[in-house]
Amino acid sequence: MIKKTIIIAAVTSSVAVTALAHGGATGIVKERMDAMAVMGNSVKAVAPMMRREVDYDAEAVKSAAQVFARHSGEAMTKLFPEGSGGGASEVTPEVWSEWSKFEELAEQLGAYSNGLALAADNGLGTSMGSAGSMMGSSSTDSMMGGTTTPMIDFTSMTADIAFNMVAQTCASCHATFREKE
Amino acid sequence: MRTETKLLGGFGVLGAVALGGIIFWPVRTEPAEITLQGDVQRGAYLARVSGCISCHSDFENGGASLSGGKGLSTEFGTFYPPNLTTDATHGIGGWSVEQFAKAVRQGISPEGDPYYPAFSYPFYADMTDQDIADLWVAFQTVPPVNESAPENDVSFPFNQRWGLKLWRAAYLYDPDTESDPTKSDAWNRGKALVNGPAHCAACHTPRNFAGGRILDARFEGNDALPGDSKAPAITPSTLIEGDWTVSNLVYAMQTGITPSGDAFGGSMTEVVQGNTRFMSPDDLEAMATYLLDSSS
Ligand code: HEC
Ligand code: HEC
Ligand code: HEC
Repeated sequence: MIKKTIIIAAVTSSVAVTALAHGGATGIVKERMDAMAVMGNSVKAVAPMMRREVDYDAEAVKSAAQVFARHSGEAMTKLFPEGSGGGASEVTPEVWSEWSKFEELAEQLGAYSNGLALAADNGLGTSMGSAGSMMGSSSTDSMMGGTTTPMIDFTSMTADIAFNMVAQTCASCHATFREKE
Repeated sequence: MRTETKLLGGFGVLGAVALGGIIFWPVRTEPAEITLQGDVQRGAYLARVSGCISCHSDFENGGASLSGGKGLSTEFGTFYPPNLTTDATHGIGGWSVEQFAKAVRQGISPEGDPYYPAFSYPFYADMTDQDIADLWVAFQTVPPVNESAPENDVSFPFNQRWGLKLWRAAYLYDPDTESDPTKSDAWNRGKALVNGPAHCAACHTPRNFAGGRILDARFEGNDALPGDSKAPAITPSTLIEGDWTVSNLVYAMQTGITPSGDAFGGSMTEVVQGNTRFMSPDDLEAMATYLLDSSS
């Protein structure tokens, strides 16, 4: 119970925390940095559950999923009008030269966040901490394949796997479209 | 520009006679015959950890596994990781395991030419014959792709491969993978992985004008990575200051999520998605244990 209160406090205090390293951004740049930082705070609130550092709380995971969904898709892309890079912004020019890929990742964030909300009640999987050797996980058996995901069924997926998919969407977009100063 | 002049100056000092000697100076030696039986799964795992698959494949643009990677643009030019499939003409299908060992551990081609250090071979020097045998059988399972990767796009003087012999003499360091009996098994395993195959220092240690790593500044960060990317410091003190722990560092290497709730960007995302997320929890924990205590 105490842990839950801490998490809720962390989520609600997000607005205060967003003041961090924006580097004097104003206008639309500040607006999208704030939106990103709100998502960052939700990640910070639930990641310790996924790492099994605190007890799992399905409701907190669902509310984080809602935060991601709310900031995804068009809500996100409309904060990136052409020519709004430079200055305090960390965006790369690829946002506009590869706009459809950018849009796709923003949409994917929405789809996976809705998936995370569905998976939240399934709790965490048992895979972590299982014996590791050089044989590792089954995904290393072959020399083949990229990162394509076939049909996804979130209703039977554990929350940590669904959360990883959300996290990988954040990281994939940052890999191409953001360059830290 | 400045770098180029310095290097050219360096070449000039040597004089023509010395140069002739260097061009024909043989590098390293033939490795002994490798007859060990390899393990495909172990080899595929090592190929993930070492980044062979992520560097030599271009999945993003629909390329087949190991058929050639995205160009690495550096201040010396653009390097294209070659086709490593079993195609005999365009890949390494015609190679022997000994030639493969020499390329991976010593950075020398079957013709005896040195490879550019854009290929992370300096970190693979301590791979055992068993590691090589495992990698080799895993590479045998890769279907042939009959197309070569593009030629490197490197201008003079860096397009002179013999110049790399000078580079090797000055900057080819043995990887620091030796174990320390006063430390735990996990720490030692982590050290061998981080400083060996996982080649974290390739990006996180600054380099001098000639692209040589500055060993005194290990893990202090590099703000001149290919593609204008910057890698921050990952020394124990900076990691601890940044709220990193063994647990959240392991998690970051699996998911890209940092302790502040942000997600990695830049080439670190490729490291996570192409290499570290495939690693066993034990190996990741070993690496994190070492990184948080790597100065001792
Ligand atoms: C479709 C692309 C995209 C997705 C998806 C995305 N981001 Fe971002 N993010 C960006 C870009 C671009 C910036 C840089 C914005 C700028 O500086 O103008 C950024 C910046 C940030 C920042 C820094 C904000 C600041 O204060 O400067 C944080 C934190 C962040 N993102 C977190 C996240 C998290 C967490 C997720 C996933 C839940 C996520 N992002 C998903 C594109 C994306
Ligand atoms: C950082 C990117 C990178 C990583 C990681 C990497 N390589 Fe390479 N590799 C290259 C580049 C670039 C070249 C070409 C070097 C040159 O032209 O001198 C190369 C060349 C080679 C060659 C020579 C091919 C030929 O046709 O002559 C072999 C063999 C090879 N790599 C194997 C490996 C193996 C095995 C691994 C993993 C243990 C690996 N590489 C990891 C970038 C990489
Ligand atoms: C191909 C280059 C490259 C390699 C190899 C690499 N990194 Fe990174 N690393 C980066 C970049 C670039 C960043 C900055 C990421 C960002 O902009 O969010 C980074 C960031 C990090 C951070 C975050 C530091 C902080 O305080 O924010 C950690 C931790 C890290 N890397 C650990 C590792 C480890 C461990 C390895 C070896 C397994 C490794 N890196 C290998 C390029 C690399």
